[in-house]
Amino acid sequence: MKSRHLSLQLIAVVVGAFVAVPIIYAVIGGFKDTSQLSTNPFGLPAPWNAGNYADVLGSAGFWRQLGNSIFIALLTTALLVGVSALAAFVLARFTFRGREAIFTLFAVGLMFPFTVAILPLFVMLRTLGLLDSPWGVIFVQAAFGIPVTIIILRGFFRSIPNEIEEAATLDGCTSFAFFWRILLPMARPALATVSVLAVVASWNNFLLPLVVFTDPEWWTIPLGVQQFQGEHGADTSRIMAYLVLAMVPALAFYSLAERHLISGLTAGAMKG
Amino acid sequence: MRRHLVLCAATALFLAGCGSSTTPPQQSPQAGQSQKAEPVTVDWWHIATNDPGKSTLDKAAKAYMAEHPEVTIKITILENDAFKSKMSTVSSAGQAPDIFTTWGGGVLAQQVEAGLVKEVDLGEMKDSLTTAAVAPYVIDEKVYAVPTDIGMIGFWYNKDLFAKAGITEPPGTWSAYLEAVKKLKAAGIVPIALAGKEKWPGHFYWSYLAMRIAGLPALQQAAETKDFTNPDFVAAGQQLKALADLQPFQKGFENAAYPGPTGQSATVGNGKAAMELMGQWAPGSQKTEGKGLGEALGFFPFPAVEGGKGALTEAFGGGGGYAVGAEAPDAAVDFLKFLIAEERHAPAINDDLWLPIHKGEEATVSDPNKKAVAEALATATGFQLYLDQAYPPAVGQEVNDSVAQLIEGKKTPEEVVQSITEVAKSE
Amino acid sequence: MRRWVTITLFLLPALVLFVLLVLLPTLMAGYLSFFKWNGLGGLPTNYIGLDNYTRLFESDIFYGDLRTMGVIIVLSLLVQLPFSLAIAMLLHQRIRGRAFYRLVFFAPYVLSEAVTAVLFTMIFAPDESGLANAILGVVGLESEWFADESTVLLTLFVVMSWKYFGFHTLLYLAGRQGIPKELTEAAQIDGSTPWQVFRYVTLPLMGPTIRISAFLSVIGTIQLFDLVWILTGGGPSHSSETLAVTMMQFGFKRAQIGYASAISVVMFLLSLVFALWYQRYVMRRDLEGATVQ
Repeated sequence: MKSRHLSLQLIAVVVGAFVAVPIIYAVIGGFKDTSQLSTNPFGLPAPWNAGNYADVLGSAGFWRQLGNSIFIALLTTALLVGVSALAAFVLARFTFRGREAIFTLFAVGLMFPFTVAILPLFVMLRTLGLLDSPWGVIFVQAAFGIPVTIIILRGFFRSIPNEIEEAATLDGCTSFAFFWRILLPMARPALATVSVLAVVASWNNFLLPLVVFTDPEWWTIPLGVQQFQGEHGADTSRIMAYLVLAMVPALAFYSLAERHLISGLTAGAMKG
Repeated sequence: MRRHLVLCAATALFLAGCGSSTTPPQQSPQAGQSQKAEPVTVDWWHIATNDPGKSTLDKAAKAYMAEHPEVTIKITILENDAFKSKMSTVSSAGQAPDIFTTWGGGVLAQQVEAGLVKEVDLGEMKDSLTTAAVAPYVIDEKVYAVPTDIGMIGFWYNKDLFAKAGITEPPGTWSAYLEAVKKLKAAGIVPIALAGKEKWPGHFYWSYLAMRIAGLPALQQAAETKDFTNPDFVAAGQQLKALADLQPFQKGFENAAYPGPTGQSATVGNGKAAMELMGQWAPGSQKTEGKGLGEALGFFPFPAVEGGKGALTEAFGGGGGYAVGAEAPDAAVDFLKFLIAEERHAPAINDDLWLPIHKGEEATVSDPNKKAVAEALATATGFQLYLDQAYPPAVGQEVNDSVAQLIEGKKTPEEVVQSITEVAKSE
Repeated sequence: MRRWVTITLFLLPALVLFVLLVLLPTLMAGYLSFFKWNGLGGLPTNYIGLDNYTRLFESDIFYGDLRTMGVIIVLSLLVQLPFSLAIAMLLHQRIRGRAFYRLVFFAPYVLSEAVTAVLFTMIFAPDESGLANAILGVVGLESEWFADESTVLLTLFVVMSWKYFGFHTLLYLAGRQGIPKELTEAAQIDGSTPWQVFRYVTLPLMGPTIRISAFLSVIGTIQLFDLVWILTGGGPSHSSETLAVTMMQFGFKRAQIGYASAISVVMFLLSLVFALWYQRYVMRRDLEGATVQ
């Protein structure tokens, strides 16, 4: 048993190293200057140069974009998970005519590339007066996130035993009360999962904010990255520093959500 | 039936959106200004994300606003690719900023056809600008943009590496050029850096060879008749194939980009390849992407091909300028003329921003590399805009794509001209 | 009646958002595929029927795209998903620094495509300056990676797996949480080996999650775009091109919006056929499961 434990640990270390190498490389790359990147791509920086990170952290633009990105990601996620959980609940726990048709309709949304829809979408957002407004991005991101979120949530909602629902109904729970007080707490891992996916998708979205925002006041991190690349075209190491820092908030959100991934369904079932 | 209804609804929305393509005028009149002039706002999108461009343009806008208090110039700076994506989205909805970056040619022609831009009246300035500078924006003999810059493509080479291979002077003919490539290879030097992934740098070779062999009029004629099957164009492809067969490019060039630490520019800038065929921006790029060559950097025009109809003095290149949206106020054109007036344009050249566009302006250039380009252009006997810019986008991209495949040995010279002709005819 | 009110109220918000902002623009874009349109100024007028489609089916690039798609789907299902599952099982164990590993394994998914491209372009540099060649050169396995037609797809797949396995691991982890401890513990007490527990208890119970993850993986591969676009642009000589990359080449670079729309409609139909088949023959078990329970 002990040796098995040790070998698992070993595997984790090896695979972890394999996965981490490119990221470590990016973090260290941020401490080099660009000519070091081409002359000494894989060694340690000599000398270490913290200027890239300091410059990014010292720029007002970075912090404003960070704020915008966080605001948009959180609202997108709240809206998306809210509407999708409601829909997935009905699609998972009710039997009614047209259920599969509606589910398929949602699933269809996965199958069409977003880039093509952008032209008509732009016209529609203009008509709705949502250009240069964060809501233009939030609503569209939430809408395009619905398919995958519903597919995942429905799967999880299904796996909750019917006995629990029956018991709740006997106790006099309405559908909404069952959904709100029992199902959602039990599905915390699934909710955490789809929230993480929504935050990451929003975090890295480029085309939509580009098209919606003309005013740099509202620009998000990916737009900032592109602009930054324009400004420092050749300065790859500085861009790396920017990108590494841009990743941190999304990872931080993941580690917050991750706790809910671990404490899970079983604990919830006991309480239920 | 239901599907039909949805489509109708979508169409209605689409149409409704198209009506409102004008930019709303600025509401708040500035305090204490002359009552006669209506306040106007000029929306200006450009791609000068870094200095000196960014601050030069900003200063010019401020100076103009100080002279014309009723005008507000609103600048939006976008990175090159971001600009193109955003531009294509808004223009699909029938909208264009009052002033925006353009490179002229086929893209501008499509915008003219769609009624997105309007003719620019250059006034007296028309006579002071060089023909080459204005050429990219002339469509049906009307000018549709104000130029800020014009340059040309040529070979940027490493004098030290050429000397090491025993090449004493830059080749003036194509056969001497192929000889030089062989000598470089024999000396263990990578002769040419090429960004194969991006395709556009490769099309310079085919275009120049076509110019040198078939002559400028043949290229212009092909654009009109949409027929590129001229045997001289096939010959151009054969010469390019002869070059590619020498395997002159750096290892893995098929996936090389132009910028970046492993790109074409850095490869030359770090002395890992002896030359590149590139535009006027090459020296600056070599310096920022790599170490730069300093004194060792030299420039020579694309060699003449023996027996060809074109001359060594004919230039291939392009520049940049600003087009004016169809709904733009008059102040937009007025500002652009202010921007490129010689007293503002000439100093910017030596700030490392633009190249000469006014006649005789090349005399003011101090940087030797820029001077080489400016003088070659000033004495040029003919000018051809980049083919991937001059032709409609689909044709231009087919030139790039086919030539890339020719270089990689996937298409024959005959197939190249057939593909281009096919796409040109379908446009 | 009350039931229908609940159903309607619960479905409505998602349906409104989805129909207005996803379905309608999408249908509109699909409609463009019957036109020859350069994407400029207002509505397209040059109706050409199915010409864009016939042109697509006659193009060699299209069949190359299908081949790329097939190769990556097969590799993903056979390599990427089992790998993700193994990592999820590993992370479910009580190993030291588990939280740290979870963070490390998920980090690539968060990293933007742009920086992924910068990193792997350097790692898989075609000459001796690349890390991959430096390491594999020891055993004589140097390659030009992205620059060579014979290795480009495999290299691309490695990068894709690195970038996206965290997504599937995340799904599997959440799915694994749903399996009651009692079941696996009971099997262990019965004397089953860890492999037997996994094979006969955990794996079958993970079924629904695995089927969803495989579904999303295939659909995602049909739509594969970002990484290919920045890493190879579809080259060399179209050998790593995907449908979405072809679509962008024509829509964005060549200003042939109608043709690009036709490609996206074909992508949609491929996904739809797969989805319907999958729902009918693979996911059906999950549907039955829900009603039987």
